[in-house]
Amino acid sequence: MKTYDDLTSDGGSNIMDQVVHQRGKLRKRLDKIKHKVSLMSGKGGVGKSSLTANIAACLVSQGHTVGILDADLNGPSICKLLGVSNDQKLKITQEGVYPGIGALGIKIMSMDMLLPNADSPVMWTEDKDASAVWVSTMESTALMELLRDTVWGELDFLLIDMPPGSDRIDNIRDLVPELEGVIEITIPSSVSQHIVSKSITKNMHMGVPIIGLVENMATYVCPHCNEEGTLFEGEDVEQLAQRKNIPFLGRIPFDSRISQQTEADSLFYTENSNSVAGKAIESVTNNILKFIKNQSQ
Amino acid sequence: MKFLCIPCDTQMETQTDGIMPKEAKNISLKFKCKKCGHMIAMLTNRFETEFVSKLGVEAGGKSELADTPMAMVGSQLAEGKEELKQAAAASDDSIEWTQEAQDRIQKVPFFVRGMAKKTVLSFAKEKGIKVIDGALMDEVREKVGM
Repeated sequence: MKTYDDLTSDGGSNIMDQVVHQRGKLRKRLDKIKHKVSLMSGKGGVGKSSLTANIAACLVSQGHTVGILDADLNGPSICKLLGVSNDQKLKITQEGVYPGIGALGIKIMSMDMLLPNADSPVMWTEDKDASAVWVSTMESTALMELLRDTVWGELDFLLIDMPPGSDRIDNIRDLVPELEGVIEITIPSSVSQHIVSKSITKNMHMGVPIIGLVENMATYVCPHCNEEGTLFEGEDVEQLAQRKNIPFLGRIPFDSRISQQTEADSLFYTENSNSVAGKAIESVTNNILKFIKNQSQ
Repeated sequence: MKFLCIPCDTQMETQTDGIMPKEAKNISLKFKCKKCGHMIAMLTNRFETEFVSKLGVEAGGKSELADTPMAMVGSQLAEGKEELKQAAAASDDSIEWTQEAQDRIQKVPFFVRGMAKKTVLSFAKEKGIKVIDGALMDEVREKVGM
């Protein structure tokens, strides 16, 4: 009796051809984007999305065209941060779904744009008894569609705002093999560093380039006297970077205005580029650009 | 996954017609031996159907659905924007689908939806029917024995 390998055809299922077709479409889309960078952390609540939005603003201020993919499918926040309202009608053509245009012209694609109401959750079935077994598969496919079917056009940078944890990087690595690298973000707390350390190790094992480590909420700046004080106790983050042999990209102090929702065509960085936090964001952005420049040489 | 006709030791082919699954997500896919013509049906349960469906591929080859932007997200979200649903909705220039028929075809799992649409359209065209409604879809399902 013949074995699996003896049957050279797919029996008309045409599955492989479709996978190749999907990959071709994805490649065509991504080839128009010069640099793709993921911002991630093993830990939630360290300010990934706020930092992503403000690094994007800094890049725009330097003359770059920027898009953000909100890869946090279940907890999207980029639309809110960049002022893309949920009630905007989607523009869909054969070419794809047009991205939302956020503050400073930053192009955005997020699950928030695809849901009917601002408080609609992402649910992949109406069946309350449905198994969670396939949710991960669905999310992988959704991530591919958000990347592939968004009309990004030509961009200098696509920033990928990752969900908390390190599991989704496997997908991104597979979908975007030319990824410049990931920016790991932590806060000084020992718990955060413990988890981010695992995330760094995983990326190293997987061969995902690490652009560097950012210490967010490093200090607290008093809005009255500009004095900096300690916010979290923990190991020196720069030492963690040294121990892992990855670049340390900088420290960003806590500023309550950073994560504020955009009311006008602006972001914290553009309004406060000369503040302590604004200068720190610029320094981190410049270190990212340096890394990319060095990689391309 | 491949299927082998044991008596003929020949690979069986996926049949792209005659698919009209229940929307309840239990799918029957037909395979036919190229040599002796023997046919079998692969029956999937709800969990298997959901799993394959979410891969974003279509059994028997891609239909026009494959070129619909965010077709999977649009069809799988329990609550998605109307524009997404419309983009993935059934359409044929010469034949009209009632809202009920469109809703029902949208509930057919992604990976066999193209085949199911083809089956219904062929049936309607054969009979000279210009409007596809729920009753016609029931008739098709009964006719193809699935």
